[in-house]
Amino acid sequence: MSMLKFLLRRTLQGVFVIWGVVTVLFGLRAVSPGDPASLMLGQGATQELVERVREVEGLNEPIYVQYADYLGSLVRGDLGYSWRSEREVEMMVLERVPATIELAVAATVIALLIAVPLGVVSATRRGTASDYGATLFSLLGISTPNFWLGLMLILVLGVWYGIPYPSLSGSGSVPIGVGFVDLPTGRRAVGFGEALMAIVQEGSFGEMGLWLKHITLPAITLGTYFTALITRLTRSGMIDEFGKPYVTATQSKGLPGVLVRYKHVLRNTMIPIITVLGLQMGTLMGGAVITETVFNWPGLGLRLIDALGVRDWPLMQGIILFIAIMFVTINIVVDALYTYLDPQVSVE
Amino acid sequence: MISDRVKRNLTRTFRESMLPKLGLVLLVVIVVMAMFAPILATHDPTRTGYFHEEGGPYPPPGFEYTTTVASDGEIGDVEVTSTSEHLLGTNTVGQDVYSRFLYGARVSLLVSLFGVSLALLMGVPFGLVAGYYGGRIDDGLMRLADVMLAFPALVLALALIGVFGSQPIQVPDPIVLAGVADGMPESIPIPGSVTVVVALVTWVWFARVARGEALSIRNEEYVKAAKSFGTADWRILLKHVLPNSLTPIIVLATIQMAIIILIEASLAYLGFTGTTLSWGYEIETGQDVLRTRPWVAMVPGIGIVLAVISVNLLGDWFRDALDPNIEGSERGA
Amino acid sequence: MSEDLLRITGLSTRFFTDEGQVNAVSDLDATVERGEVFGIVGESGSGKSVTALSIMDLVESPGEITAGSIEYRNADLAADVREDHPEAVDGEFVDLLGVTSSVRRSLRGTAFSMIFQDPESSFNPTLTIGEQIAEAVEVQRRASATPRLSRGVEYSFASLMASTVLGSKKFVTAESRERAIELLELVGIPDPVKRAEEYPHEYSGGMLQRAMIAQALAGEPDVLVADEPTTALDVTIQAQILDLLADLQEETGMTILLITHNLGVIARMCDRVGVMYAGEIVERGTLADVFDDHVHPYTEGLLGSVPDLERVGDRLRPIPGNVPSLLDDEMDDRCYFADRCPKAMDACLDHPPSYDARGEEHAARCVLAEMDYDESRALPEGYFGEGERPAADREAEPHGAEIEPDGAGGTRERGENE
Repeated sequence: MSMLKFLLRRTLQGVFVIWGVVTVLFGLRAVSPGDPASLMLGQGATQELVERVREVEGLNEPIYVQYADYLGSLVRGDLGYSWRSEREVEMMVLERVPATIELAVAATVIALLIAVPLGVVSATRRGTASDYGATLFSLLGISTPNFWLGLMLILVLGVWYGIPYPSLSGSGSVPIGVGFVDLPTGRRAVGFGEALMAIVQEGSFGEMGLWLKHITLPAITLGTYFTALITRLTRSGMIDEFGKPYVTATQSKGLPGVLVRYKHVLRNTMIPIITVLGLQMGTLMGGAVITETVFNWPGLGLRLIDALGVRDWPLMQGIILFIAIMFVTINIVVDALYTYLDPQVSVE
Repeated sequence: MISDRVKRNLTRTFRESMLPKLGLVLLVVIVVMAMFAPILATHDPTRTGYFHEEGGPYPPPGFEYTTTVASDGEIGDVEVTSTSEHLLGTNTVGQDVYSRFLYGARVSLLVSLFGVSLALLMGVPFGLVAGYYGGRIDDGLMRLADVMLAFPALVLALALIGVFGSQPIQVPDPIVLAGVADGMPESIPIPGSVTVVVALVTWVWFARVARGEALSIRNEEYVKAAKSFGTADWRILLKHVLPNSLTPIIVLATIQMAIIILIEASLAYLGFTGTTLSWGYEIETGQDVLRTRPWVAMVPGIGIVLAVISVNLLGDWFRDALDPNIEGSERGA
Repeated sequence: MSEDLLRITGLSTRFFTDEGQVNAVSDLDATVERGEVFGIVGESGSGKSVTALSIMDLVESPGEITAGSIEYRNADLAADVREDHPEAVDGEFVDLLGVTSSVRRSLRGTAFSMIFQDPESSFNPTLTIGEQIAEAVEVQRRASATPRLSRGVEYSFASLMASTVLGSKKFVTAESRERAIELLELVGIPDPVKRAEEYPHEYSGGMLQRAMIAQALAGEPDVLVADEPTTALDVTIQAQILDLLADLQEETGMTILLITHNLGVIARMCDRVGVMYAGEIVERGTLADVFDDHVHPYTEGLLGSVPDLERVGDRLRPIPGNVPSLLDDEMDDRCYFADRCPKAMDACLDHPPSYDARGEEHAARCVLAEMDYDESRALPEGYFGEGERPAADREAEPHGAEIEPDGAGGTRERGENE
């Protein structure tokens, strides 16, 4: 019951935050230079046409009326139409969501799989070569811009070592990533869902192979910063935790070292790290924007950059709003998880 | 303020570990590079057309390539080798990579320095006042912070640039004006709106930390004592609360400085800063010729990594020595 | 009081910190008899807790046991390790410093267990009390089912991984949980079934200390090491905990090594006492020897510093001066107490060995055990330099307490804060 109340309260707070985000986005659009009607119509539109669009779109109304209209349509689930492609923003966002989520999840999984063992080794073998190695790696990891890392991975693995990577099929100005993405439609050849279906329905693993081949480098690129960050947090968290009196007390019981290290120390280390990860989801989404650009990965980030380039405000607003909702939701889940894992934090 | 104990800790940590020393050396090198770029540069970084006689850019040592040329009706391969004239080669439009590397450090450091300063000026007073008075101001700040955090820093920065545009400011170069460096550009473009934008997306971290500090300091005995003497609030804020919250703010400032360098590089890479004299932009131009002219993208990237590492190492040093236990290491790229 | 259970000889534990070598425990001799309560008393920073941790083999880097032997009488253990470590076995005694660390680990919980000063920080805050006690039970259960030399390996990382999906692979079994509830009942925790499901923060300090005693009893140990078991508790609760310990000792016949700075606790609980100063036992003997017939001026000073209700009006007489630095560089080779000693003589400038004082049981590390105080040989005032010879108002800088090496993860001398 109290957990339900807690979730309800956090959801309300989340709605409030989203309202704030919406307001900020509306404000940005309102103060941004350029007449929306002209932007919508593109160059060469007649004055008459511009005026009509202003009228129809309610752009001549006072600002608070426009704001109320905007909120109203959002509540109805209407994100409006893209100024450029004149498609529904909702569709344009949703069709790009799976690719971004796949990338973000893959990056997080890679980060956790590498970082936690690395942090543990680093903390339990302090002062050894593996500790220094992990420390150096994490320092480099948090200091390397991921777009450059992505390019260097392509360069080293693909160009210099000849490891086949589909994005390198083009020369010169052809965007990296071509071959996987059908350029006219902007669709991927295969998504994770389709690849999974192919295995289940036809027993064919080729699609999954293709998917893995394409997602590996982008996921490593996006995940490196998180790997480095979690390695650092795990290392310093475990070292702190090992210094606590309960560890000595637990050892004094004669408990096998494995249990002391993992069931007690690592578990207690990871609980606060989960919260950090929740907050870092924003960074992950920011990183996804760049990574998608480098690898031409057809996700939300790439579409956001496209929208920015042409000042397609409804599309920009839709994408940023979606990202913010994802962030808020993930953090509600993380908070709930935290109260569940740490009995000292009461849900009240 | 910076107490003796803090100083002792700083020196002790500095002496004990290699890493702060390495960070300091790196930072000094980069700062010198940035400050004296016009003197250290071998070419005007904006001048194009430094091409090999066969038409391609010069490679740096170790990156020789062959190019196919048609001369006098005959087609043949020509080996293009590095030249001592261009230490790190030239880029796709024939600009000197080494000189642009030096000038790139300027942009990177200036944006991060001014960006952090601006964020400090916005965030710290707001946070201190909110934490000290509590109540509505505090609630308002915390809600605003929640909203700000729901935007990924880079995404918000992009949206803000969509509003402000990307206006570079031409800053006259004092070294060139002093006449010590002939043939260098008399002014360099600093991405002005980007500086404001990075401050706008990072100030909230400073506000949060300052608020937390003020919240705990306002209950300290010396603050209560000062209040009981009838000391004005602004004096208490200035004389007690601010100095005692400096430590975590300094640590946060180093962390954010590293983050801002990365955000600036990302924005420049995406082409949203309005200047071309930037490490991030340079990488973008190198991306298209990654296969054939890899150094164009490699060199500026190394600059970014070294700059960020140096600041991070100093940040680690401060944090280890001062242990303020703060959050706020979100980064945008 | 028949047979010796523990014979500690020449035990030295050092910490190699950045500031230098810290001699936390030096050349310590003590014997503990089966079924007795042996007290170790001393000021903060005298090395009491490090002695306890040395016996438990819980001294962590940068600390290290550098010399001595800890001989433990256990015929089964002697038989088990005789083949691999013949030099460590002496009759039924096994020198614990001569066997492998896995053998020593196998003794934790089952031969020696420990209760700590601060119960609130000595439980893992994120697991239930029942679970944590059940772990200790499980250690004992598995130990009795497994040959000693293969203990500890039977629960590997792979088992732990498997336990996250397979309930049957979990370390703690249902039987152990039930036994944990029995133990909670044994130490007087009401409604143990419900309390076993609660977390440490839901317990009061006194209840937690009871739970810790239950946990320590789980392995039915020969020796219970109690490190300042009452220091963190309210006065009324202190008495309850001491009563509980006394009752349990009577019931089970286990040996208790009681470490405290509180002479009242010693007087109430112990059969024999060792007085620690600067890492050494400076006087040891029966309770009567130490309280009524003491030789060492430090013991005298310690007793003088206890407020005594029967002597109302007497002023509390703190021992002047500070606990000495245990940094090796700052320790001269002399009696470490000489600079605070009202009866310091020229003979004290040599480091005194341990002398039999008045009978075999009673020993003191003081020249006064061999000779009477001779005023003509007294050291002149200010011999140890200005500020060394203490003035009562000098700011007490807890030199000796700085055993704590910097950096997380290091061992710190716990339970020495009063």
